Amino acid sequence: MLNELGQYLPFLIPIAVIQLALTVAAVIHILRHDTYRFGNRALWLVVSICVNVIGPILYFSIGKGED
Amino acid sequence: MRQFLAFSKKEFHESAATFRLYILLGLFVMFGMMSPLLAKLTPEIIKSLGDTGMMISVHEPTSLDAWAQFFHNVGQMGMLVLIIVFCGTMSNELSKGTLVNLLTKGMKRHTVIASKMFASSVLWTFAYLLCFGAGFAYTAYFWDIGELPHALLAFAAPWLFGELLLATHVFGGTLFGNIYGSLLSCIGAVILMNLLSILPGASKYNPVTLSGGTLPLLSGAGKPSDFIPAVLICAAAVVLLTAGSIVMFNRKKM
Repeated sequence: MLNELGQYLPFLIPIAVIQLALTVAAVIHILRHDTYRFGNRALWLVVSICVNVIGPILYFSIGKGED
Repeated sequence: MRQFLAFSKKEFHESAATFRLYILLGLFVMFGMMSPLLAKLTPEIIKSLGDTGMMISVHEPTSLDAWAQFFHNVGQMGMLVLIIVFCGTMSNELSKGTLVNLLTKGMKRHTVIASKMFASSVLWTFAYLLCFGAGFAYTAYFWDIGELPHALLAFAAPWLFGELLLATHVFGGTLFGNIYGSLLSCIGAVILMNLLSILPGASKYNPVTLSGGTLPLLSGAGKPSDFIPAVLICAAAVVLLTAGSIVMFNRKKM
């Protein structure tokens, strides 16, 4: 099974990188800013880390406060 | 025209500054890549469960399975991403009052709506093309693409539905003037269309069929005439919503 998965790694890696980059970008942004449109830092960290894909984009489009 | 170009340019800068551009492009490339891969890997995953003594018959995946995944991904996750990413286009400006300065300096109100629609459409078109390109490249790598009957209609349909969502955002944003109104009107419209599709025979005229329902065209089971009414209604709705937004915005007190 692992060997078979191995041949798909060149395709799986970019997908994993995009998802991870999105989550990391959201987490860094949350930690560097402390104004949110609603909610607090803990809520947005949980949402961004636990809800795959949708969590970080929710933060960037409706959670992020003004700079 | 100069106002239009300047405002559209400002929109593109803004979408980069708010990460909207990167999120949209990255995610749609991902959806495109994921589809053939999921089609390829699903039988492997099911096979690895096969040791438990269950009898599962798995057919060898084909390029049609990849396109089925493509329409599934774009039609559900893709549209959800589109709804969330674009929810602030019109409403953010209105709730923050950032348009007041421009309007008092002589910016035409219809130019605002037109360039908002134009800029979001360009972004969405570009994201969808990348998504399709990635999906096509990976599918061609794994399988022989073969013949794709009515490919233009089949693949343009989800794009047109995306345009409808963008127009609904601009309309909802102008009507309510805040992000929640914009989100609710868009999600409400999608729920309403999904409810309508329960009615027998309505799916032919329902724009929601376009978001992910056009696979039968590629497999040869459907004919274009099954989808043309929905395409026409969807296109008319985009035009009407945009025109409605302009009329409403002209009357709105800033």
